[in-house]
Amino acid sequence: MTEGKATSILVVDDDPSALDIVRTYLESRGYRVATAADGKEALAKLEEVRPALILLDIMMPGMDGWEVARVVKNHPDFADTRVVMLTARSDFADKQQGLSAGVDDYIVKPIRLHELGDRVERNLEAREARRRSA
Amino acid sequence: MRVLAHVRDAGLRRALVDATHRLSAELLEPADGRVSADVVVAEAGPKEELQEIHAQARAAGAALVVACREPEDCRIASLAGADEWVFVPVDPAELAIRLATASARAVGEALPHETGQAAELIRYQELLFDKLTGFPTLPVMIERARELLDRRGELTIVYIHFVWYEKIEEIFGWQKLDDVLETTAGALRDFYAAERLGAESLMMVSHIADDDFILFAQIPAAAEIAERRLNALSHRLESFLRGRIEEAHSEDIAALCGIYVGASTIFRNLKIRTERLIYRAIREAAQAARGAEQWERARKVTDLKATLREGLVFIEYFPIIVTGTEAIYGYEALARGTRRELRSPEVLFDVAEEANLIWELGRLLRVRAVQGILHELGPDQHLFLNVDPRDFDDPSFRNMSAQDLGIEDPSRIVLEITERTAIKDYPRFQEYLAAFRERGFRFAVDDAGSGYAGLGSIANLAPDYIKLDISLISNIDSNFLKQNLVETMVKFAEAQNALVIAEGVERREEFETIRQLGVHLAQGFLFHRPRYAGIPKEAA
Repeated sequence: MTEGKATSILVVDDDPSALDIVRTYLESRGYRVATAADGKEALAKLEEVRPALILLDIMMPGMDGWEVARVVKNHPDFADTRVVMLTARSDFADKQQGLSAGVDDYIVKPIRLHELGDRVERNLEAREARRRSA
Repeated sequence: MRVLAHVRDAGLRRALVDATHRLSAELLEPADGRVSADVVVAEAGPKEELQEIHAQARAAGAALVVACREPEDCRIASLAGADEWVFVPVDPAELAIRLATASARAVGEALPHETGQAAELIRYQELLFDKLTGFPTLPVMIERARELLDRRGELTIVYIHFVWYEKIEEIFGWQKLDDVLETTAGALRDFYAAERLGAESLMMVSHIADDDFILFAQIPAAAEIAERRLNALSHRLESFLRGRIEEAHSEDIAALCGIYVGASTIFRNLKIRTERLIYRAIREAAQAARGAEQWERARKVTDLKATLREGLVFIEYFPIIVTGTEAIYGYEALARGTRRELRSPEVLFDVAEEANLIWELGRLLRVRAVQGILHELGPDQHLFLNVDPRDFDDPSFRNMSAQDLGIEDPSRIVLEITERTAIKDYPRFQEYLAAFRERGFRFAVDDAGSGYAGLGSIANLAPDYIKLDISLISNIDSNFLKQNLVETMVKFAEAQNALVIAEGVERREEFETIRQLGVHLAQGFLFHRPRYAGIPKEAA
C-alpha cells in the first residue's frame, strides 16, 4: 500500500453485489471507499469524495463509463485522478476508445481481486510519482 | 525385592522410586557398594556396556531391565541379554510390572511369556481406582456394600447418570469433558460431606473411565417418607452439581450437561445372593436415572413446540468487521431458546432434530433474525444467517425469496452453510445453490479448516465468503504454519472473487496478523460482545 488509509477510491458499478465485494476488498486493504451505482451518482459524489482513483464499470444504464471518464479527465480539479475501467471486452476498439477518453488503465471482467488490488496499487504509485515530479 | 539402579535420567528415577514403592521393594544405588539385588535397571547404551552389566547382574543372580529411548535400543538390549525393557518416559505402574516380571523370570517362577503374580497384582490395582476422579470402581465396592447390607439390613443406591451432548467433545475436545467430570467428582465429594449421608456411605464410579457415578447410602426413614426424601435428595444433588459446573466452567457448558439421578433401596433377603441383589438394585437405579433423562427429553420437546408456537427465540448478533477500517460489515445471527433448558443453540437444534421440527425451527429463526435487526442495519451492512444442508430439503426454504424475509435487496443476506450434516448429493445441492444465487442471495462456507468444512466443500460450493474456523486463527500470531495456511486461503479466495472472514479473533495480536496476511473480514470477541439480543415483543 503506497498511501495508506487516507487514499480514497470511488467504485462505480450498477451490480450491487460486485460493488460490495470490490468495496469490501479495497477497504480490507486500508483504502477509503465510496460507491456509486451509476454515472450520475458518481459525478455527484466527485466533489465530496475527491478520489485518488476511480474504478469505473463501462456498461451502465444511462450515462456509460466512457462518458463519466471523459467528464472526470476534462475537469481541471480532477485531472490527476486515475481512472481504471472495468471492461467485459478487451478488444482493440475498447482500448482506442479508452485512450481517447484519457483513461489510465483497464481491468478485464470477470475481475480477480488480487489483480484488481495490484492494478489499483500500480496506478496509485504512478499518480504519486507524477505528483512528486510536477 | 531389591532393585539396583544405574540411572541418571531424572524422570526415570522418579518413576523408579514410585514403582519400587508399589512393589514394596528397596531401591539401591551403585554407590552403595556390592550389594546383591534381584533386579538391575540400566539405561540403554552401547551393546558391550550392556553385556557387561548383564554379566554382573547374572553373576549376582539378578535380572536386567533396560530403559530404552529408541526401538534400536530395545534390539541392542535383547541382544545383550536383558530380561525386560521399557520405553522412557515410563508410567510407574508399567515399570513396576516390568520389574516384577523380570525378577520372576530370573528366578524361574515365570515362563518367558508370562508376567508373574506380583506384576498381575499391580495391573489389577490400577483398575481399582478411577484415574480421573480418584474414586474407587464398582468391583472394589461391592464387597463393602455387601457387608453394609448384611449389617444394617437395608441399603439405598443412588445412580448419577451424566449426559453430555456429544457435539461438545467435537467443539471443545475431550479434555474439556475430563475437566467437567473432575469438577463433577469434586462437587459430589462436597455434596456428600455436606449432606452427612452417614459415615458409612460409599462413593464410586460405575466403571473405570466412565462418566456415571454411584453412591451407596443409608437413608433411614419409613418407606413412604423415604421416597420423598430420596426425591428431594436427587433434586438437591442435580442443582448442586449444575451450579458447580456453571461456576467452574460456564453457563453454556453447564447447559450442555445433563445430570439425572435415580435411586433404589434394597433390603436384605436371605433367599437371594447379596451381590446379585446389589447389582440388580444398581441396574434399577440406573434405569430410574435414564427414565428421568427420557422424561426430561420429552419435556424439552414440549418446550420446543411451545417455543415454535409462541415464536419466542433469542437472536444474538455478532458483528463482522472490515479488517482495513474496522467498520461493521454486517452481523451473524445466532439463535438461542428462551426457555432455560433450550438456551444452548446446540441443545435447541438437537431437540428439534429429535422431534423432527428442524424445518419449523429454521423458518422461525430466519424470520426472527431478519426482523430483529432490519431497522438497525445500515444500507451497506449484511446479515449472515446460518443454514444447515438439511434446510435445503425444506421446499419452503428452497423457494425462499427476499420478500419472504421482509427485505428488498437479497444480496445483503449471506447464507452460511455449516456442514454439520454432510451433503450427500453434491450435484443436486449445487443446483439449489445456483437457484438461490439467481435470486441474488450469497453464500459463505462456515468453519473452513475444521472437521466440518474441508477444501472439498469449498471447491464444491464456490462460496462468496470463506469463514476460517477459530482453530486456524487462535494464536496465529505465533504460529507460522497457520499464517502460511491463511495466506494461501486468502490468495485462493481472491482468485475466486471470494472474501475471507476470520472467525474467533480474540486478541489484538491475532487481528494484526490476519490483517497483514490480507484477510478481508474478521469476527470475534476482540471487537464486541454480541451487540443485541432481543426477544421479539409480538408473538408470531
